[in-house]
Amino acid sequence: MLNSVWKKSGWLTLGLACLLCLGNAASTAFADGQTNAYNYSYWGDAVRSPAAYEATGIVTGKELDIGPFKEPNDMHVTADQRVYVLDSGNSRIVELNQEMKLTRVIDSFDHDGTKDKFKLPQGLYVSDSGQLLIADTGNQRVVHLDKQGQLIKIVEQPQSELLKPDFQFKPLRVVMDKGERIYVMAEGVFDGFMEFNSDGTFASFIGANRVQVDPVVYLWKRFATRQQRSQMVMFTPTEFTNMDMDGEGFIYATSGDKTGLPIKKLNAQGLDILRREGYYPPQGDLLYSNEKGPSRLIDVDVGDSDMYSVLDANMGRIFTYNGDGYLLHMFGGIGNRLGQFNTPVSLERVGDRMLVLDKALGEITVFQTTEYGRTLHEAVRSYFNGDEEGSAANFAKAADMNANLEYAYAGIGKALLRQKDYAESTQYFKRSMEREGYSKAFLLYRKELLREHFSWIMSGLLLVIVMVVIAFIVRRQRRGSTHASIK
Amino acid sequence: MQASSRQLIQYPLHLIFHPFDGYWELKYERNQRTTLMIAWIILAALMVTTILQAQYSGFLVNFNNPKRLNSLMEMVYVIVPVLFWCTANWSLTTLMDGEGKFSEIFMSTCFALVPLILVQFPWIWLSLIISNQETAFYYFFNMAATAWTVYLLFVGNMTVHQYSPAKTVLTMLLTLVAMAFMAFLCLLFFSLVQQIVSFAATIYQELVLRG
Repeated sequence: MLNSVWKKSGWLTLGLACLLCLGNAASTAFADGQTNAYNYSYWGDAVRSPAAYEATGIVTGKELDIGPFKEPNDMHVTADQRVYVLDSGNSRIVELNQEMKLTRVIDSFDHDGTKDKFKLPQGLYVSDSGQLLIADTGNQRVVHLDKQGQLIKIVEQPQSELLKPDFQFKPLRVVMDKGERIYVMAEGVFDGFMEFNSDGTFASFIGANRVQVDPVVYLWKRFATRQQRSQMVMFTPTEFTNMDMDGEGFIYATSGDKTGLPIKKLNAQGLDILRREGYYPPQGDLLYSNEKGPSRLIDVDVGDSDMYSVLDANMGRIFTYNGDGYLLHMFGGIGNRLGQFNTPVSLERVGDRMLVLDKALGEITVFQTTEYGRTLHEAVRSYFNGDEEGSAANFAKAADMNANLEYAYAGIGKALLRQKDYAESTQYFKRSMEREGYSKAFLLYRKELLREHFSWIMSGLLLVIVMVVIAFIVRRQRRGSTHASIK
Repeated sequence: MQASSRQLIQYPLHLIFHPFDGYWELKYERNQRTTLMIAWIILAALMVTTILQAQYSGFLVNFNNPKRLNSLMEMVYVIVPVLFWCTANWSLTTLMDGEGKFSEIFMSTCFALVPLILVQFPWIWLSLIISNQETAFYYFFNMAATAWTVYLLFVGNMTVHQYSPAKTVLTMLLTLVAMAFMAFLCLLFFSLVQQIVSFAATIYQELVLRG
């Protein structure tokens, strides 16, 4: 008897021990490698997600045989996937081809017959036709070169009533639209971006950030005398940290706005038209430690189909959103492994690859999309192009790889709605917490249900009414008779 | 007066539709024990309604995170405000020549909650079959129930304490202030207790580790 009990409990212990081992094995497998990616659920929790990108290699100046990069600050990629790196410390521009091999180095240009050089340039933009714009910060000018590196024009310190007399023009970042208007983000300018006409004359400012007012400080200022006020810190709008331009000429800008909206999409009037239909407004990390603080976004890159990625300098993470503002995926981090950075400054997309430039280490990390990332991008792309069937199929595939991807379920729900499978569609919308879509599907489902069971419902209703009326009459008659009997 | 099961239901229903009569009866004519029992039943029913609402309301109007739902906490969210209200109201009205006893205040408050149950309970199920546009009705009925409850509270206060309408409004506003004050004191008290406990725990740990 005792023996058998011992036997049984022995088996049980063995089984439990096995389970324990399995559990351990699973968790170790989880912890290693590239799987530290996550996403934010509707409830704001960080949930596990497969990696959308994985680091495949590093490009350094040494490898290219041009000497190490020294504090490179900016990077740009053209439509035909040529990569331009602005090597600020060495005052040169390095052009790489699609395979990340050296094509040429531009370190000077012909300026009215003399050789002119850059001085600590900070920003670089390459138009789709290959024209180069360099924010030559040390020389206080923007240099505009053509494809061959010949000078087109130089934008010097602008003269305008809008500017203070002691204004120093120190351009940091620069972009150009199809009409060759130049937008410059300059140091110490709080009024937004400086817009220059195609001939290089200053036009105006666009897209200033709103002033953030601390209520307590505001109250103090109310009570302060004029003299005290003059010594207090002014309420100034936050400066932008970077910008990029999409194919349609909208400027995407990031700023150090900690309380407001750190990512903006500016139209020609300078109004913010970024869609924020996701679970949370795009802002990088939702959860952060007090010590590290919220994400400090320092670069933005616009890809195709309205997808855009932002780079967080604080934690070295790259967040990618779709046009509606849903967080698609994140990757990266601060550290010493491949795929992590020390001081990331710039972010560029080259087709399926993503390049991140590290200022301190002077190297470019190359990331390649994983199967999951490609599926997700393809889904977003086909949805953007109006191909709902294709997008639903891809979303279903992405959801198979990542059950936590709530956003994908809405895509499936939309397709089911179109296929008139309303009941199923409501379930998918519910899973992605998409109330608008749920309501739409539910209304149709309800209508269908009511139509199908109309006869039953109506006869039931009639029956109830008849019964109520009968009960009423019976009760009245009884009451009447009792009253009569009392009399 | 006998507490038949019929009366248990009939009286609260009578009260919410004829509050002046109902509260007068509550104060002067009815059996206090029965009424107190009904009051507790109402409070329990409201707790059940709140829990069901948090759990089963339709997706379109339910913004609760199912992972964070805790029925005990939902009960606390009902009972604590009621008790706070009663205590604050009692403390104030004793100073302001109110004629109500604590039990009367408690009963009148509980009876005022009946519309919340009556309206919210069916809407838990109705909210399952409404669409986004129709949620307006849901919110409207909830608002109406709240307004009704506030009105009943007002009449209850006026009758129980035998106040003039203006004084009742003033008392109710002051009660809210007193509630905030009480909440502050409670938080202070608990945080102090917590500090003391952690202090004692630290000393204990220190002694154990040294010894």
